[in-house]
Amino acid sequence: MSAVPNTARLTTGRDTGPVVSARDLRAWYRLSMFGVVREVKAVDGVSFEIRSDEIYGLAGESSSGKSTLVKTIAGAIRPPLEIVGGEIAFNFMAGTDGLHRASGEVAGQVRWRHLSYVMQGSMSVLNPVRRVRASFADFAFRHMGLDRAGFEAAVVSHLARVNLEASVLDAYPHELSGGMRQRVTIALATICRPNFVIADEPTTALDVVVQKEVLGMFRGIQREMGSSVLFVTHDMGVHAHLTDRLGIMYAGRLVEEARTRDLFARPRHPYTRHLIESLPRIGDDKLRRGLEGSPPSLADPPDGCRFHPRCSFATERCRREVPAMTPVGLDHRVACFERDRVEASQ
Amino acid sequence: MFVVIRDLLRHNGDFLAGIVLTGFVVAMALLSFVSPYHPLDQFVAPLDVPPSAGHWFGTTSRGQDLFWLLAYSIRNTLAFGILVAIISRVLSLSIGLLAGYRGGWTDRILMSINDTFIVIPLFPILVLFYFVMRDNMSWVLLAVLTAFLGWSYDARLIRSVALSLRNREFTQTAVFAGMNTREILAREHLPFVLPIVFSTTLNNMNWSIGLEVTLAVLGFTDINRPSVGGLIYWANQHSAVVAGIWWWIAFPVGLVVMLFIGLYLLAVSMNEYIDPRSRLDRMGGQGR
Repeated sequence: MSAVPNTARLTTGRDTGPVVSARDLRAWYRLSMFGVVREVKAVDGVSFEIRSDEIYGLAGESSSGKSTLVKTIAGAIRPPLEIVGGEIAFNFMAGTDGLHRASGEVAGQVRWRHLSYVMQGSMSVLNPVRRVRASFADFAFRHMGLDRAGFEAAVVSHLARVNLEASVLDAYPHELSGGMRQRVTIALATICRPNFVIADEPTTALDVVVQKEVLGMFRGIQREMGSSVLFVTHDMGVHAHLTDRLGIMYAGRLVEEARTRDLFARPRHPYTRHLIESLPRIGDDKLRRGLEGSPPSLADPPDGCRFHPRCSFATERCRREVPAMTPVGLDHRVACFERDRVEASQ
Repeated sequence: MFVVIRDLLRHNGDFLAGIVLTGFVVAMALLSFVSPYHPLDQFVAPLDVPPSAGHWFGTTSRGQDLFWLLAYSIRNTLAFGILVAIISRVLSLSIGLLAGYRGGWTDRILMSINDTFIVIPLFPILVLFYFVMRDNMSWVLLAVLTAFLGWSYDARLIRSVALSLRNREFTQTAVFAGMNTREILAREHLPFVLPIVFSTTLNNMNWSIGLEVTLAVLGFTDINRPSVGGLIYWANQHSAVVAGIWWWIAFPVGLVVMLFIGLYLLAVSMNEYIDPRSRLDRMGGQGR
């Protein structure tokens, strides 16, 4: 097993197959306390693909398993999180075992160079007691294969892409504004021109104005490098603005997936509909109704479709059987038995 | 760095006092290099002369000039304190950072060793070593022993900081970027704990010097090597206080007390600089 050489990097074109594909991925938190094993099925049977040169969004409320899914794909598995089953394949790496089972050497070659990860709380990715330059040197230098001077030049020219001057390299993180820090983080994650970038709620700490600016730059860099991005946030507004395709997660499972435009125009899953209907629109003064109830405990999820206790379309079948992801149109998949009734009712 | 020191000198009375006191003691130690006497020479000066223009701190009953002998003694005592501080810092840093970062079994094993050292009674052990080693007990050996007994409290302190660093995003990013444990500890975590280490180092020096003085006063060290405790030991052997030769006791005690207070004030004012909350506390409790 070895990483694809750097020259074989993908650039553009949708015919090259998926960059990442996950099949029936299951990642559970397993805790054994006083002999009682407690399992939290945070990711339970998720399958999806991310194509080259696209931004794939992942939405869902808190505790729906988004971050766990991201950690699983990035191979950042630490106890009590365990990958119980499923396959992850990357087009820049042989095999279907994913990063978590790769040898340290292979993982070292793949990470950052081919797959980089902007973690949740990315405002604090930079070490507060070290200058920005040191963070670049620590995290990215080893993956670039350049000498010191070449690396410095690469960093400076890459920072220019996010409208930052070379002087930020000499700053400590606290001397930068939130937006600047965020842009440094994005520059840090993309400096090696990775094939695949995972961004876990990277803009949550910013106000909407700065957020829009940062997202715009992120989009620009992604377009320029032709990377694929997995973008996670619960903010549907951000998804509408940024992503090409969108997957909706509920209680550890993917419930709907479609091109972002299609998903917003014709949601087929009742949960997606609630998510979209909750968005405020300019000129629309209709009263927004919240969704009754709260997401199920992942330690003891309901049988059948996990959304059925809160679903107004639920039937007896939903309580017993788990709906599979079924194609309902071009690039559109939904896991709902009553998808036709849901669509007809809007 | 220079600006920080200047500001501290200007605005922090404790720091200024600490610098002056410690500076005086260090200057005294440095003077030993230009001493007209060899420290082991005896009966080279008139006996029992009180402090005077010729002999600033007087002379001892063994015919030594107390000023120059004290200069040698404080130099040796300082060297002891610094050596202990360096060795014990290396130990407490590497063990504290490793235990805090690795967690799990590494942490449990290292911390049980650590806790063992915390509860070991230091003084009897050092005395025991003296009786076993006798003439082979050099000051370097004593410093190494003291360092091995004196790292545990600070290792726990450093571990507690490392524990909180372990779950920070930059640590996880560092792991993801492929940095190994040694690199993460040395480059990402060490800068965090250095200020704390700086302030505890001064306290550690105070502690080890106090221990050495105590041992020497009781005669449990190499008594022929001039040290502040050794001076007091010889003064006691000659019943200096009974004989009215007060300067033989007073100057060594005074000097070592100056060193203690100086280091303590430095540690306290450093801590205030490092931890701004204690500054707020002093201003009127806004820090809470």
